[in-house]
Amino acid sequence: MKCLIRNFMFLVLVLFLAACNGESESTSNEGTKEEASGGDKSLTMLFSFASDSLDPHQDAIGVRAGITETLLKIDENLEIQPWLAEDWKQVDETTWEFDIRDGVTFHDGSKVDGKAVKASFERVIKENDAMDAALKIDSIEADGQKVTFTTREPHPIFISELIHTHASVIKADEDQIAEKPIGTGPFTVADFTPGSEINLERYDDYWDGAAKLDEVTIRFNSDASVRALSLQSGEADIAYHLPPEGLDSIESNSELKVESVPSIRTHFFLYNQQNEKLKDQKVRKALDMLINRKVMVEEIMNNHATEAAGPFNPDFPFAGEEESVEYDPKQAEALLKEAGYERNEQGMMEKDGEPLSLKIATYVARPELPLMAQYFQAEAGKIGVDVEIMKIENIDSYLHEKQEAWDLVTYSNLTAPRGDGGYFLNVAYLPDGSLNPGQINISRINELTEQLNGTADPEQRTALQKEAVAIINEEVPHSFVMHPHIIVGVHDRVKNWTPGSEENYLITNEMDVE
Amino acid sequence: MGMARQVFRIVGKRIFQLVLTILILSFVTFLMMKLTPGDPVRTILKVEDMETSVADEEELREAYGFNDPLPIQYGQWLWKAAQGDLGASFITKRPVLDMLMSRLPATLGLTFGGLLVLFVIVLPLGIIGAVYKDRWPDTLSKWFALAGASIPSFWLGLLLIHWFSLELGLLPVMGTGTWAHFVLPSVTLGVAMAPMYIRLLRERLIQTMNSPYIEAAAARGVKRGRILIRHVLRGSLMSVVTLFGLSVGGLLGGVTVVEILFSWPGMGELIVQAVSQRDYPVVQGYILIIGVIVIVVNLLVDLLYTLLNPEIRYGKEEG
Repeated sequence: MKCLIRNFMFLVLVLFLAACNGESESTSNEGTKEEASGGDKSLTMLFSFASDSLDPHQDAIGVRAGITETLLKIDENLEIQPWLAEDWKQVDETTWEFDIRDGVTFHDGSKVDGKAVKASFERVIKENDAMDAALKIDSIEADGQKVTFTTREPHPIFISELIHTHASVIKADEDQIAEKPIGTGPFTVADFTPGSEINLERYDDYWDGAAKLDEVTIRFNSDASVRALSLQSGEADIAYHLPPEGLDSIESNSELKVESVPSIRTHFFLYNQQNEKLKDQKVRKALDMLINRKVMVEEIMNNHATEAAGPFNPDFPFAGEEESVEYDPKQAEALLKEAGYERNEQGMMEKDGEPLSLKIATYVARPELPLMAQYFQAEAGKIGVDVEIMKIENIDSYLHEKQEAWDLVTYSNLTAPRGDGGYFLNVAYLPDGSLNPGQINISRINELTEQLNGTADPEQRTALQKEAVAIINEEVPHSFVMHPHIIVGVHDRVKNWTPGSEENYLITNEMDVE
Repeated sequence: MGMARQVFRIVGKRIFQLVLTILILSFVTFLMMKLTPGDPVRTILKVEDMETSVADEEELREAYGFNDPLPIQYGQWLWKAAQGDLGASFITKRPVLDMLMSRLPATLGLTFGGLLVLFVIVLPLGIIGAVYKDRWPDTLSKWFALAGASIPSFWLGLLLIHWFSLELGLLPVMGTGTWAHFVLPSVTLGVAMAPMYIRLLRERLIQTMNSPYIEAAAARGVKRGRILIRHVLRGSLMSVVTLFGLSVGGLLGGVTVVEILFSWPGMGELIVQAVSQRDYPVVQGYILIIGVIVIVVNLLVDLLYTLLNPEIRYGKEEG
């Protein structure tokens, strides 16, 4: 028996050695393969959110992957620009007229005219409840290259809603829209594995000039470490959403670079207005001063974030020109004393025998948010404010369904996803808004928002939004902390491409590889 | 004759159990999803980037019937499911059956790859552990089992990617397509599942080696190697097969972590998203399919058991 086992172990050893030899051989093979692949024009991009369907009316990947396009888009300066529609005008409060660009064709070669656009929009409002609610379309008329939309009610931000990826123009009368949508973009779908991978091929008759690349592969992986490893191994050329920590090995690699652009997202603290103590504006202001934005940006984000001075990315014209609030614990303590709080024997802030103790809810889906809560907890503790951190699994439902259980929450939103702040003012401040679990109800902001909702003129809209931002900064219903950056790892061989703040048109006809 | 009757009886009993288990399973899942906070309405309305109000949410909740009493909601699902209609996803609007079936092969393929690795690891280490009981090869096998049981599979996966894809450039990091894509996910899955089986096989082997019929065979002068393979291993494999039947559910669960790490287009990747979005039809459909798989595998294990173990096979008739 011993003899048998010894033989067996010897066999294992031999196999192992053979395997090791095999490894070194194939390593050298890999090297030559990479050299050979330098000649073809293909690119691999890694993205974090998986798509289970390519239906552009349900999933953003259609526009992101360069398969479909929208009538209008926002450019790198976050301004609204014509795209498939080359011109538009508002006829009256509820009527909008668009001229569809001549010479645009679908991937099957058919012409994009008013009728095709009409069919596409009729499909999206039928199939997507959210888009129906957002577009408020009553009827659509098509005449040659002209399309006329009539909305159910005056809808000044109709233009901005058209920027949404779900407003993609597709060939509507097709069966395979979830697997192989027919759009107008620079690339067509060659193959799609739901949740895993899309393979794209160039569309030669693209209206804005055929793409420089022959093929593009987009892979989904929700694990940031794996995305980083894949970029380092040379398997991917572009890796989206890398974590701010652990970029060293990418930065030190001479073939790779890290791009960091401010996003249109804002991380903030939201105060629950049902809490009696937090109804006091002085208390909210004091807590706001305990947020050390500079240190949070440096230490939590490794400087891959911009300090926030209001709800909107400072590049937006409507963001306002205010500076972010300075960290000032002394002033914070003074404000709390003004509000009637005194230190008790244990050194805790107290009013009417009740200590100022707050529960802050946070969640791990964005790993920097719990860290923000911890920094805040430490600073608050220094001036005698007790903060308890609660990690919550399903944060959205928790905030709405258990409104009595939390006082503050670390939260994060795209505050102007389509180049207009009206969205955030409506959802986060109006009492009926879908992102207002803290029941903010400030009459001056409500009035301004109502006025904004009836204003179509862009300049007037900008002025009204700036006014609203000023009131928000005075009332402090939120404490805006930072705009995290979009961190993208890019291989040197990628040319003519940089990531933008808006994450819609990721794959372009211009991008190239060496 | 007796054999056929027994198989028939087992199958009949199992089909009854299958229906009952699926009913209970689907009801409990439905109840748990409904009782935890949240519903898919906010995801459907895309409140993250679309302008909607609480009134819109309430309207949609009514339209989808989420305000109806739970038994009615469950009854409606069950009635359709019984007719073979698992409904459509709330989020992608695609038929649930299509979504799951298009991903089933990838999950089964990976499970099979994991099992293959599992056997390649378990057989030698289990045998070595038993033959060299309490000596250094046994200790080595014990340490391997301990290490394998302590390492979380997502971390092991990351380590493997680091070594084999980044440092050595041998294997692809993620995705599917070639045989090479199978290696790392299968190894991750196999190593994570192996420890329990290594220890189990070792215990069973030691037990069997000490049983009288093995001693009798040795006394008859049968060669030790032949005893080990013909008698001891065969006798011990049965308990391993049984355990496999019991843990197939766990294996399918373990696949989920590996699938997410390696962008494997299986059902696990889909279901994690569906649970967090409260996409009820997808979750219910998944439970249904997994339930059927687990029960069918257990049925096959039972049948295999009957074949492998003469005691059970003839127990009733001759006893």
